[in-house]
Amino acid sequence: MPTVSMTVNGESVSSEVEPRTLLVQYLRENLGLTGTHVGCDTSQCGACVVHVNGKSAKSCTMLAVQAEGSEVSTIEGLADGDTLHPMQEAFRENHGLQCGFCTPGMVMSAIDLVQTNSDPSEHDVREWLEGNLCRCTGYHNIVKSILAGAKAMQG
Amino acid sequence: MEMSGEYRIEASRQTVWDALNDPEILKQSIPGCEEIERLSDTELAAKVVAKVGPVKAKFAGQVTLSDLDPPNSYRISGEGKGGAAGFAKGGANVSLKSDGEATILSYEVDATVGGKLAQLGARLIDGTAKKMAGDFFKNFAEVVTESKDLNSTENLNDADTNKVNHDINASKRPKIGVGSWIIGLIVAAAVILAIIVY
Amino acid sequence: MTETNIGAPIKRVEDKRFLTGRGRYTDDLNQPNQLYACILRSPHAHANLKKVDVSQAKAAPGVIDIFTGSDMAADEVGSLPCGWQIHSKDGSPMHEPGHPPMAVTKVRHVGDQVAIVIAETKSQARDALDIIEVDYEVLPAAINMDEALSGKALVHDDVPNNMCFDWEIGDKEATENSFSDAHKVVSIELVNNRLIPNAMEPRAAVAQYDPSNGNYTLHTTTQNPHVIRLLMGAFVLQIPEHKLRIISHDVGGGFGSKIFHYAEEAILTWASAKVSQPIKWTAERSESFVTDAHGRDHETKAELALDKDGKFLGLRVSTKANIGAYLSTFGSSVPTYLYGTLLAGVYKTPAIYCEVKTVFTNTVPVDAYRGAGRPECTYLLERLVNKAAKETGIDPVEIRRINMIQPDQFPYQTPVALQYDVGDYPRAFETALKASDYEGFSSRRKSSEDNGKKRGIGISTYIEACGIAPSAVAGALGARAGLYESAQVRVHPTGSVTLYTGTHNHGQGHETTFAQIVSDTLGVSIDQVEVSHGDTGEVQFGMGTYGSRSLAVGGPAVLKACNKIIEKSKKIAAHILEASVDDIDFKDGVYSISGTDRELAFGEVSLAAYVPHNYPIEELEPGLDENAFYDPLNFSFPAGCHICEVEIDPETGEVEITDFTAVDDIGRVINPMIVEGQVQGGLAQGIGQALMEGCVYDNEGQLLTGSYMDYTMPRADNLPNLNVSTESVLGASNPLEVKGVGEVGSIGAPPAVINAILDALSSLGVEDISMPASPSKVWQAIHNAQ
Repeated sequence: MPTVSMTVNGESVSSEVEPRTLLVQYLRENLGLTGTHVGCDTSQCGACVVHVNGKSAKSCTMLAVQAEGSEVSTIEGLADGDTLHPMQEAFRENHGLQCGFCTPGMVMSAIDLVQTNSDPSEHDVREWLEGNLCRCTGYHNIVKSILAGAKAMQG
Repeated sequence: MEMSGEYRIEASRQTVWDALNDPEILKQSIPGCEEIERLSDTELAAKVVAKVGPVKAKFAGQVTLSDLDPPNSYRISGEGKGGAAGFAKGGANVSLKSDGEATILSYEVDATVGGKLAQLGARLIDGTAKKMAGDFFKNFAEVVTESKDLNSTENLNDADTNKVNHDINASKRPKIGVGSWIIGLIVAAAVILAIIVY
Repeated sequence: MTETNIGAPIKRVEDKRFLTGRGRYTDDLNQPNQLYACILRSPHAHANLKKVDVSQAKAAPGVIDIFTGSDMAADEVGSLPCGWQIHSKDGSPMHEPGHPPMAVTKVRHVGDQVAIVIAETKSQARDALDIIEVDYEVLPAAINMDEALSGKALVHDDVPNNMCFDWEIGDKEATENSFSDAHKVVSIELVNNRLIPNAMEPRAAVAQYDPSNGNYTLHTTTQNPHVIRLLMGAFVLQIPEHKLRIISHDVGGGFGSKIFHYAEEAILTWASAKVSQPIKWTAERSESFVTDAHGRDHETKAELALDKDGKFLGLRVSTKANIGAYLSTFGSSVPTYLYGTLLAGVYKTPAIYCEVKTVFTNTVPVDAYRGAGRPECTYLLERLVNKAAKETGIDPVEIRRINMIQPDQFPYQTPVALQYDVGDYPRAFETALKASDYEGFSSRRKSSEDNGKKRGIGISTYIEACGIAPSAVAGALGARAGLYESAQVRVHPTGSVTLYTGTHNHGQGHETTFAQIVSDTLGVSIDQVEVSHGDTGEVQFGMGTYGSRSLAVGGPAVLKACNKIIEKSKKIAAHILEASVDDIDFKDGVYSISGTDRELAFGEVSLAAYVPHNYPIEELEPGLDENAFYDPLNFSFPAGCHICEVEIDPETGEVEITDFTAVDDIGRVINPMIVEGQVQGGLAQGIGQALMEGCVYDNEGQLLTGSYMDYTMPRADNLPNLNVSTESVLGASNPLEVKGVGEVGSIGAPPAVINAILDALSSLGVEDISMPASPSKVWQAIHNAQ
């Protein structure tokens, strides 16, 4: 079995994996980082979005070995101790989550949006979320959260 | 799904008919084919690894020839089981008509898929079939180029594999000299392919 | 009760764990020595199982064991039960064919369970699936309902014509008479499209058997752990309750689809004892599509009789409902008592008759999905009312005003069994008209027309019945379970509180809403309250969460338990303060003697309860821990009005929802932030049904919409901002004065959207369109009309 090494949430990790292991499996099963979720098997729901070298990526569409040498960050790595990341805080403040299953992917995706576009419009947010499904909220409060989170990240 | 095609082959009807049997060439030409075995005069067994959209599966299939009317027509039918990925079954009516020195081979395939293949792959199956057919012709050309010594005196060039209404990439087809029996195999393989993949 | 929390938009206490990736969803859990299971599923809609050969697969790397339906049958494993018995018109009970957890002789839908592989890793289990050899004898399949009713292919050999039951409600004769007196009869035929619930978390289970004591533990993605314990324990696996613990911590959405007792729960629990090791199974999304119970799927003909003034005289409804291949847990209640009983809507229709033929087909079982019966009812009623408006020439607003039940008519007895307790339908209706600027529509239409677009506005009113109750009435209608709820309030020695509720939180925010109730009732701060749910080993009992019942049925149980705490603690306080209990006031967490400054804090009294040194020990037991069960007096009846405005591009058929206004009467609002979220989410599913979602089977029973590539889920860019507000009349059937809120959006939205589309296209001659009104369908309708 090949060995894969990467940095996850700032810590170096290295393990032997089956070559077919997906990045999301590696995070969940090998590293126990279960905040990254699997909601589909066709790379469409976005529940598994993490950051790979600072950009959002669906961790179900990558093999773990493809992330060799990368910097990966997941939802578990966002908060600073007890202080939530501004985007996490914006979701809490604006009721941007209900069952919470799509939430990690939404938050990770939203942060990448703001890194790409620091002042997104409502339209930009809705378009950006094309790859993230939520069944609970009707997106209304997710959009509101991301707009608020974008402001907070600037401030 | 349904798919039909017609090929003009520069060989006699009998030659084409005879050419419908060479498991070894089929095996080398069908993308993902691991095994083809002739079980009897009318039965073939094949194992093919096929990928349809996100579903990749090994299909174990049996193909049966029926309604034999040499050298005019027959029906070829079969079923492939892909384990947890589902199944594919169907048939094709194949007929050969003389056109001067040449032969027009026509086929009509009807096939159904089930299980995960239908669930995830149904929308992709037409494209996959066309791609596999294209791959088949490419592989086939290579196989044939490597086995020139098998060729008969009849040479075949681009114009000989005269596609009438089947969509493959003609520009990439290499100029090769091939025994006309092989053209029959192409079609037989395409049909088997269709049945196994679908 | 003080009301500092109730009515306030308190931020959710559960959010932090979800936002930091520390939720405890079933697939996140692992047990020592855990094995992994994958399930082989039928690729055929209907076939005899001639042979299942697992010998080669058993020898595959890592495989521990493989079991089939025959193995379960040999252990006398029971059939998955149905929780609601319906009787046909002729008095005969519904057909209840067996539903083995794994197929024994026959598979009946694509996705039906054939074998379970248990292996050391998930990949090994999945690899072994491919080498199980199954010999299927494929049989003709019954896919659509007409085909099924012809009886050519029988899903169950002992159910003639595949008819599960032929039910009726209402007064047939009175309804016939109303039609003979009618000035005008309006009729409609429509299909309520089949939907796939698609909670974002796929179902999962981890089962564990402890051979040292014979105890089973099942972690599963369920909305009602105690119900699963009862159904699986008593009916399927014969495990008594005290030996079976069901745990369902965080669940990633349910929408009804996680109410039911699914085969995998029983298969895993049974198999965990066979291998004496924990086993985990997690559905892939493609398995969810072919195993999670689907929703809706009705075909209906309905007629409305009107007098010359446009007043409704009678309503006649004939429905065929697809129940799928097996009776799912509550499948039979959905097209009957959750459907036919609501046909009065908010209108004074004096005579109603409805018959429902429920049909087995070789498709996934159909059961409750958000709204369950009420969206089907509302859709037909509001489409029919709009059609009546058109055919009589009365304005759609006016015809609703003429026929609406008035506030002074409550309690209102409908001709279809229900008695509405309280409401003010005109108020929500008029508020919605204002909020949507209904009057200004014509100028908006004009500006759309100027841009080459078609604009339409559509209204839907609705009423729904939720928090099904009381148990005795539900039982008389065929429910095989009680429909009360329980709560336990445990006050700890230092005055903090744990509430155990029998309802289940899978996104609804119970950990916050219920804490608000406890906090206000006991006067403790909200951060001193913890809500526990979802574990039969901790929670005394419960019926779970579905049918918008948690607050309406579970909430009063919480209140009742809190009141028992107050009653007991006042006695303790009276003893310590040396006063009569009648003189003790309890307010804001402080016990005082009326008219004096002598008082005790809540924490002082709770400490005394656990350190009973100065305590009325002869009269009271120590401790402060109270249990309550609450069985409501009636359903609760949320109602409201939804108005949708659309703009359609006639060149492409694309429908854009420009505005959506929802005004809902949901009784007392405990947390307005959560309420808005619930309505918005429901609206998204209702709009999804109207515009995008539709389950398609081919003629052989293959599911063609089996992934997110083909089943169109609403995405952020498909939906508008939603204008949501409440216009409440306090509920009359429970002491919290609440109604339900979880389902109102999915009930009211579909007809509002379709009525708006038809309004936009009426000038082009389009008279009908079916759901989902996809761009191609709209474009086709425009071109067919021209």
